[in-house]
Amino acid sequence: MTQTSPSVLSARGITKSFGGRAVLRGIDLDAQRGDVVTILGGSGSGKSTFLRCLNLLELPDAGTIEIAGTRAPLAHDRHGKARIANPKALNALRTKTAMVFQNFNLWSHMTVLDNVIAAPVHVHGVPRAQAVDRAHGLLEKVGMAGFAGHWPRQLSGGQQQRVAIARALATDPDLMLFDEPTSALDPERVREVLDLMRALAGEGRTMLIVTHEMAFARDVSSHVVHVRDGVIESMGPPALMFGPDASPVFRAFLSP
Amino acid sequence: MDFLGTTSLGLLRAVPVTVLLFLASALGASLVAAVLVAMQQARVTQGLARAWIFVFRGTPLLLQIFMVYYGIAALGPIRHGFLWPAFREPLFCAWLAMTCCCSAYIAEVLRGALGAIPVGQIEAALACGMGRWTRLRLIVAPQVLRLALPAYGNELVMMIKSTSLASSITVLDVTGVAQQVIAHSYRTLDVFCLAAAVYLGMTAALTAVLRRIERSLDPLGSAPR
Repeated sequence: MTQTSPSVLSARGITKSFGGRAVLRGIDLDAQRGDVVTILGGSGSGKSTFLRCLNLLELPDAGTIEIAGTRAPLAHDRHGKARIANPKALNALRTKTAMVFQNFNLWSHMTVLDNVIAAPVHVHGVPRAQAVDRAHGLLEKVGMAGFAGHWPRQLSGGQQQRVAIARALATDPDLMLFDEPTSALDPERVREVLDLMRALAGEGRTMLIVTHEMAFARDVSSHVVHVRDGVIESMGPPALMFGPDASPVFRAFLSP
Repeated sequence: MDFLGTTSLGLLRAVPVTVLLFLASALGASLVAAVLVAMQQARVTQGLARAWIFVFRGTPLLLQIFMVYYGIAALGPIRHGFLWPAFREPLFCAWLAMTCCCSAYIAEVLRGALGAIPVGQIEAALACGMGRWTRLRLIVAPQVLRLALPAYGNELVMMIKSTSLASSITVLDVTGVAQQVIAHSYRTLDVFCLAAAVYLGMTAALTAVLRRIERSLDPLGSAPR
């Protein structure tokens, strides 16, 4: 059944608190293949935490997550505290996703090429030569051909982020998670990353994007989600969300 | 040959003993330190690792050497057991004490480096589904190595110099030979100066090797050239 279903993400009832403070108070979100979902919200609204719960970089307190037919192995101990039921299943879930971070997080001791081939070779068992071939193609796609032998430190923020996107694409993930991918960039570098993401959206990649780029959300997403105080305040296609019938709360968020 | 010439030759002949004790202790201490750091990651073994570090870092190396050589080696079960061929060798006793003592220091260096790895580096590895061992081999170990290297190198230099304590339990290392020469010549200052020069030579060689490694790990270089 999961093979035929185009559902890539199904998250139900995700809650999370840090030290007694509820950050997520029950979030449901679905994505179908090819969806580009942008998640908007003020700082502290829980949008990044929600994204990080999906690949279990944060452990949600409750809820279920299913990504491309694989269920997150969440369990609870006898005190009701969340835990990972099965580390193997956890890694299986994570291999279906790829994450692009605000601060790029390229591995600083590896060249650009080694960064891109690391997951295919060491996690997916792709033969090295094949992974290298594919990596060169991806680096060209993100406009970083000729930088394969460079070290992350030699690159600008925008270049690092484009390499990070190539790294994320290298495993051909079912779901790409973008955690404020342009927030650490100079204004002139934001564009090169957004253009690349726009191209990926055009190719039918399934993407979940936490961002503050309203124009991007309006032009590129298939769905816009507004998170506020740990719940989804409103969501819908951009035409609705940025139109006259949008929720007043979201409108206030857009133009305070 | 004059006195200084023969003395220099005698001291240089003792260099292999000092180098052997240093290399064996460095290897042993580093391995034990890696185990200690691993133990500190699990709650059950954490206490034992902490106790080891507390004891061996908190007591003088000279006392530890004495305790192994004059103490443990003199115990009945050791004396009459299969370990006796090892424990009757002062060089072995010095090695054992140095391995235990220096492992405590190196473990702290490694623990510090482990904590200094930026969280994002680990998260990037987790996010792509890397298992524990792949993560350790591909990301954590190389990063610990380069973060720890300056302080680790410092420990190694200290270790070369600490080998001189072995002379107190009759090991004829560079310091041991120097004391022997002084015992029949009564020429203290010049012999000790020669011995000091030999140690300087060894630490200089080690420093050069460390710098090379540091540079090879960090090709763009914040490391001094």
